Amino acid sequence: MQLAATVLLMGVGSLAKPCLAQDANTGNAISFANTKEVLGLDGLKHNVTGTLAAENGSLVFTKGKKKVVVPATSITEVPTGKDTERAIGGTVGVFSMFAPYGGGRFLSLFRTKIDTLAIEYVDTSGGIHGAIFILRKGNADAAKKALLSQGARTSVPAELEAAARTKPKEKQQ
Amino acid sequence: MKCAHYRSPLLLLILVFFFMGSVTSAQDNTNPKIHASSIQILMGQSDEVKLPIEFQLALYENLIEQIQKTNKFQHLYRDGDPAASSNTDLVILHSNVYGFKKGSEGKRQLTTVAGATQIKVHCLLTDKAGKFEVAQDVTGNVRFVGGNLRVTFDFAKKVAKIIVTNFQ
Repeated sequence: MQLAATVLLMGVGSLAKPCLAQDANTGNAISFANTKEVLGLDGLKHNVTGTLAAENGSLVFTKGKKKVVVPATSITEVPTGKDTERAIGGTVGVFSMFAPYGGGRFLSLFRTKIDTLAIEYVDTSGGIHGAIFILRKGNADAAKKALLSQGARTSVPAELEAAARTKPKEKQQ
Repeated sequence: MKCAHYRSPLLLLILVFFFMGSVTSAQDNTNPKIHASSIQILMGQSDEVKLPIEFQLALYENLIEQIQKTNKFQHLYRDGDPAASSNTDLVILHSNVYGFKKGSEGKRQLTTVAGATQIKVHCLLTDKAGKFEVAQDVTGNVRFVGGNLRVTFDFAKKVAKIIVTNFQ
């Protein structure tokens, strides 16, 4: 029983934190499980959950057998942000609106904090593309840093962006 | 007896609506449809309002997807694609965001009437020389179901509708 609980905790822990693995050629390779691709990657539908990785000089998004690779050097902008989403979403979330006595509205109060990561990149023919990802809370900065270390470019450094987000909180205190 | 008393004005009203409909459809038919084999979609500009970059990217990507679905053009070029300049039969879609109100998904679900997200965009379709073909203001909304980014999907659907009505 104790062993099962330990295994379960280890599993949950691995989902919450990014997986770190050292790559001999390109420095740190980092992957983020349970990342939602909102839109923008060629060959994938909207709102697909998979694994986002920064490895071998590329951004790699894997969903089952499908794998989309974007060379990091083609990424021209990597903005990040914070948001919230409904804890119970999807079809169940929509149908919960019809629950009696305002049950659906009560459920909508439960929200999960998320991080957003967007990339603007250029394809081989020079056309601009955009893609948006939703990551677990606290992972966007690490993902941005990993992409920058792989060769991506940005106009706002990760540290400055993080500092800009924390500023309004300091004012409130 | 009473029923017959109301029948004639009702009939008149139906006839009025019928003729109004035929007049408007006749007006629609008079507008000549534009022909172009290719379109280039430029990234949306937001000089007047501060639009978060994720909305800008979603706007651009949804536009490309929805216009592609219309099947009105043989080639669709993205912003920055140099191949577009060599194409002679090309229209260019410019979009300038002049209004943006970021609502709250939580408020929308809780109150139904508050927290709407809205985006107002001035869309311009020009030929290569810059001559206006179509100019229209389009508003995208999310009033009830969906996240804030869905506003860009609503906007793109409306632009696709404009393209369907104006192009051969």
